[in-house]
Amino acid sequence: MSAKIKAAAVPMGLIETPFYPRLAALSRAKSWIGWAGYISPLVLDTVEFEYFAIRNQATLFDISPMHKYRITGPDALAVVNRLITRDIRKVRDGRVGYAMWCDEDGMLIDDGTVFRFSQTDFRLCCQEPMYGWLMDVAWGFDVVVEDESDSIAALSLQGPTSYSVLKDAGLDVAEMKPFDWREVEPDLWISRTGFTGDLGYEIWVPRDHALAIWDRLWAAGADWGLRAIGGQALNMVRIEAGYIAAGVDFQPVHAVMRLHRGRTPMELGFDRMVAFDKGHFNGRRALLAQQDAGQRFALVKIDIGGFKPADGALIYHRKRTEVGHVTSGIWSPTAKRNIALAELKAPFGISVTTDLWADVYVHEEGVWRHKMVAVVIETKPFFANTRARATPPRAF
Amino acid sequence: MSKPSDLTYDAVVIGAGHNGLAAATTLARQGKSVCVIESRDGIGGMARNAAIAPGVVAPKMAHLLYNLNPKTLKELGITAPKSVSLPTVSLADDGRHVVIQGDLVIYADGSAHPEAATFAALHKRLTKFAALLGQMSLKTPPSLAGGLMDMATLQELAGLAKLGIGLKRMGKKDMREFLRILLSNAYDLILDDFADAPLAGMLAADAVRGAYAGPRSPGTVFSMMYRLGNGGDVRLPMGGMGAVADAFANAAKLAGCDIRTGCGVAQVIVENDTARGVILADGSVINARSVLSSIGAFQTMQMAGVQHYDTEAVRRLRNLRNKGTVAKVNLVLSGAPDFVGLDAKLTAGRLLIATSATYVERAFNPVKYGDMSNAPVIEAVIPSLSDPSLCSDGQHILSANVQYVPYALAGGWTPAARQKLLKLTLDRLEVYAPGLGRLVTHSEVLTPLDIETQTGAPGGHWHHAEMGIDQILTLRPVNGMARYGFGIAGYYLCGASAHPGGDVMGTAGRNAARQLLKDGVLA
Amino acid sequence: MGKHSSYDAIVAGAGHNGLTTACYLAKAGLKVLVVEKNDWIGGAAVSRSLHDGWTYSNCSYVCSLLRREIVRDLELPRFGLQVIPYEGGASFTKDGDYFAYMSDHDALRREIARHSSKDVDAYERFSQTVIRQCRFIRPFLLRNAPDPTSLKPRDISELLFLVKQAHGLGAKELGETLRFWSMSIGDFLDEHFETDLIKTHIAGAGIIGTGLGVYSPGTAYVLLHHYMGDVDGAIGAWGFARGGMGAISNALGAAFEEAGGEIVMGSGVDKFLVKGGKAVGVALENGDTYYAPIIASNMDVKRTFLKHMDQGVLPADFTKAVERFKIRGSSGKLNIALDSLPKFPAAPEGATFMRGDLHCSASLNELERAYDDWKEGYWSKDPYFDLLIPSQIDPTMAPQGKHMMTVFVQYAPYDLNVDGVRSGENWNDATRKAFADCVFDKIEQGCPDIRKHVVHAEVRSPWDIENEVGLTEGNIFQGELTFDQLLFNRPIPGYAQYDTPIDGMYIVGSSAHPGGGVMAAPGANAAREILRTIGKGKLMPKFAA
Repeated sequence: MSAKIKAAAVPMGLIETPFYPRLAALSRAKSWIGWAGYISPLVLDTVEFEYFAIRNQATLFDISPMHKYRITGPDALAVVNRLITRDIRKVRDGRVGYAMWCDEDGMLIDDGTVFRFSQTDFRLCCQEPMYGWLMDVAWGFDVVVEDESDSIAALSLQGPTSYSVLKDAGLDVAEMKPFDWREVEPDLWISRTGFTGDLGYEIWVPRDHALAIWDRLWAAGADWGLRAIGGQALNMVRIEAGYIAAGVDFQPVHAVMRLHRGRTPMELGFDRMVAFDKGHFNGRRALLAQQDAGQRFALVKIDIGGFKPADGALIYHRKRTEVGHVTSGIWSPTAKRNIALAELKAPFGISVTTDLWADVYVHEEGVWRHKMVAVVIETKPFFANTRARATPPRAF
Repeated sequence: MSKPSDLTYDAVVIGAGHNGLAAATTLARQGKSVCVIESRDGIGGMARNAAIAPGVVAPKMAHLLYNLNPKTLKELGITAPKSVSLPTVSLADDGRHVVIQGDLVIYADGSAHPEAATFAALHKRLTKFAALLGQMSLKTPPSLAGGLMDMATLQELAGLAKLGIGLKRMGKKDMREFLRILLSNAYDLILDDFADAPLAGMLAADAVRGAYAGPRSPGTVFSMMYRLGNGGDVRLPMGGMGAVADAFANAAKLAGCDIRTGCGVAQVIVENDTARGVILADGSVINARSVLSSIGAFQTMQMAGVQHYDTEAVRRLRNLRNKGTVAKVNLVLSGAPDFVGLDAKLTAGRLLIATSATYVERAFNPVKYGDMSNAPVIEAVIPSLSDPSLCSDGQHILSANVQYVPYALAGGWTPAARQKLLKLTLDRLEVYAPGLGRLVTHSEVLTPLDIETQTGAPGGHWHHAEMGIDQILTLRPVNGMARYGFGIAGYYLCGASAHPGGDVMGTAGRNAARQLLKDGVLA
Repeated sequence: MGKHSSYDAIVAGAGHNGLTTACYLAKAGLKVLVVEKNDWIGGAAVSRSLHDGWTYSNCSYVCSLLRREIVRDLELPRFGLQVIPYEGGASFTKDGDYFAYMSDHDALRREIARHSSKDVDAYERFSQTVIRQCRFIRPFLLRNAPDPTSLKPRDISELLFLVKQAHGLGAKELGETLRFWSMSIGDFLDEHFETDLIKTHIAGAGIIGTGLGVYSPGTAYVLLHHYMGDVDGAIGAWGFARGGMGAISNALGAAFEEAGGEIVMGSGVDKFLVKGGKAVGVALENGDTYYAPIIASNMDVKRTFLKHMDQGVLPADFTKAVERFKIRGSSGKLNIALDSLPKFPAAPEGATFMRGDLHCSASLNELERAYDDWKEGYWSKDPYFDLLIPSQIDPTMAPQGKHMMTVFVQYAPYDLNVDGVRSGENWNDATRKAFADCVFDKIEQGCPDIRKHVVHAEVRSPWDIENEVGLTEGNIFQGELTFDQLLFNRPIPGYAQYDTPIDGMYIVGSSAHPGGGVMAAPGANAAREILRTIGKGKLMPKFAA
């Protein structure tokens, strides 16, 4: 009988990110969720204070569970341009681009960010697992695709004093413009990117440097009100920023079970993200066909009457015909408005933009109420502050 | 009408096999300017003659016509070369060989076969059903993309409805039988009515001819019926298969096509998601308003470049199954062989070694694991017995399709492996024709790998892509690319990997050209 | 002896489908008699105590396909039915490795990644396809198969339903569906995965109970047939009926008796009585005779029409069609009493996936060769088996600390080949033992100590199953699940809606649409047809899709 190998056993349930020890020590609410198989905080102490920390001070959020893939090789640029809808040639070395990519029907597989090291070296960061897809996209091209998801740890440092935190930590990012991408120290990369619409940075390090960078930032942040946060607060600010979330404002088409749930970039309001003139990319022909046929849906920003958050509310035209629903809705403490992203069926949100209503349900301590409130489509940002883009950034 | 290379043809056709020629002829007869490019020195693809020994012209690969469509030939202005209808002889171990021609079955010694009436009934039923399916072969598969309320879809549905009406006109009983056996397996269908003996063997062998399937595989009745779409007559062309290919080529030239051989296409030029011509292997450029490709589907994609295709389409084409299972063995004989129990007429017929349906299924088993069958199914013909022009000095050519032989042999196609294949073919034939071995003066073995190398047929597969139910009609070659248009505007697939598949028919080429015209590409 | 000699309806065979039909008819107010040849009810859904202290589900052994609409209509939980989902499963290799399917999705992804990083996302893609197919097919299970040759309004309406469902898919998905339904599971898996072990773990569901190989077209459908069940809505989940599969039949039997039905056991039908083209009753083997204008047979079509009916009363081409209907024995079973839980050394200590389905096959070629053996009339030298130890979560199956193991074996032929002679009668003590040894040898690849734990083993060949249960050739589906025998082709074209050439006679078992597995759908659909025919269609509950 040949020698038998003893196979390893994989861990069950959720596992720790490199930053988990720090987060666990800070967690008072013990409110955790699973994110890509990792333990992630939903709330560390209270949503309210975590939220205000993002808009007033600086915050740390562990984004290690994001999927990260490295695409390198002579054909790396061609592969990235084949994958995404925008033209990556317009994003220079040392820059980051927000990107969307689609299946052959033009439906969004996911959105994410593309970090361009050089024309032969890119990192893709996104919510959904993407390795199998990238291997298929890259077939026939001279590239290597590597899954860096576990080997790279990442933090999101966001808020008006975030620049000051970095400065006091000895990291000089004064000249970094929004979407710049730099190796500020050996193996320590920083991008001026984020999910908050505010001043902020994302920090990328090899896994075993994670706790060191956390401690370093934590020490520097003491005087700047640095606070660790959970995902619930982050979700509020990203709605204020008008950013879409996969699985919420659109269904990633490879993950969804039911048919006909996919949405194109145009249907999500991202016509500008589609570069039809750059040559073939995945879904191009289908998207061209939709341009001719017209989009079926429109994702719009709306301002809702009243003060009750409208998450999940159905949208009506003339208070009568159901024409859509709210995908993400909150009361914005900063804008002091009742805001939301909503999906409407064409032509609503496109050629018909008035006489819209939301049927808002509210649970008041054992009693359910609902009310039709007027809805106005908003084209300008919900949240805008010049501190987000100032270069060099202000101290606070 | 020849054009200098700085002018633009209406169409360039890649490959001068009979499908490429059929596509070219169809376009040219509508007044379009066409250039056919062939990488080898001669036209014909898998349908060609080869002088494999002095004074011997052999059918290099394909050797018989089973499915030539008269409508297609007429449309193309092809005068088919003279051909003779051959009886099929299913050889039996006990010497009681079975002779089949059309719907008639008798023993080789002339005595009556007990299953003659059963066979006639089955033949009648199957050809009736096959005629229905045959209607589909001349149409582009429906897309139904627009939904049931779309005009284009309704037109397509009308075409299907005609089929349905044809079905209903058959009567309930026949319609039910058709729907029952459509997706079933040949082995069960055959053995429901026949003893498992050489007649059953012949039916089983014909159901899986050229396929990666055994008679027990579901879907083999469909292939059986599809093959009978034009009546199922087996014909030997005078002058060899080369004469058939020449007829296609002559019709193309007559219609005004330019045919260039000896230098193939290296790349298809694509600008603005449109095919604009080709670049040849020698670097020269031929401009065209459309390009049709008769090579394999995956190869057609690669010719234009993977970067012009959606990832899903690439993945589908990568998964396209095309494992060839037939080897060709050509034997030059110093004299006519003696098949025991067969007169001269029968010896000149289509000789089949498939002694039972179980024999055929057993022959299939090894190929699944990368082995060759030790008891293969052999379809042999000695064309020189019907067509003395092929060989001189009393020589003869025995052309044999040996099935099942894997494309990727475990251990590789070494010289020893080829020798083994040749030997087991000879040994098998020798059982029925003692002394055959001594007559062999020259032999040639083409494995499926050789066929691929020499003709570009992917996997060495006759049909470029397996004719399984999941790879036919609206799924041929793959879902979403079954209407000849191949992604890029003005780029069309016109070879056997498109509907309705292979066998020397020319219908795929003709259909593709018609679809191209219908799509208004050359308007 | 029944209380009366004449009834409104007689059901021949107390299998789960027959009992289901009987329940619906009794609840609609008919006086119903069920006759059963064995001294117990259930057919192939039984719990048998063949060794003191142990209970075997000695035919069917896990539950998923039982339609929840039927469970609800007949209130089976009130009569004791509980189905407990099991978690996970694994395939073991000869050299100490394994692939475990885990219910924990994150752990499953890590487990797949342990074998291949590419296969992780491939698994999601595969699952998405299978789940979509399941969702597509489910509405059809509790509906009649459409008859495309008929112009009757009901049939047109069924066809339109099919067209509407197909149209709702969209052209691309319709193409993918047609493709999936016509492919082999081997080819389909080869397109997704690179790890042979993972492919093999999944592929087994494509050949269970089937006379086809993993590379035979149509086996992707067979896999779908096994996945389309659910436990409380979790598609593809399987579970144990608490107390064994007999709990299902016993609950049906109890529901039936509460509704006023009668069951007579101990003697099977000798002949179905027909007069002037109409069904009039049944004559049992013990001489008793019962009369009813409605006769529902739970036996397969061959047994019903070729064994228990005078040939003269049936049209000749119907009889020929029945002879042609393929019912092939391809599987055997071992039911084993164990003195303790045997160890599979490759598995991590305490792994919860051990409570699921276990296998020792490691490559698709191995499975295909197993099929080749069967074609020649031998049991597979390297068999595929579906092995479970339900007593790990169901305390009712074995004494405390001891265990019951069920091993379903593919392939084992009905007509066993001994020295070139193929016959069911070649199954005897010697060949059964040789077969069992072959299976135990294979189990030892993953569980080296298995033999030491065996207290008792029941070894069942297709021949044994046929004789005891009454399934022709021991085929668990009462007919192969190939397209020439599904939908409007099942069991006989023109008679695919539970009806037969005999007025008042119906086929209600798995030979009818939608086919086999412990689904109860054929039985329920047949009851609906019967009630509709006698003008009591309104008394049939409408199934929520």
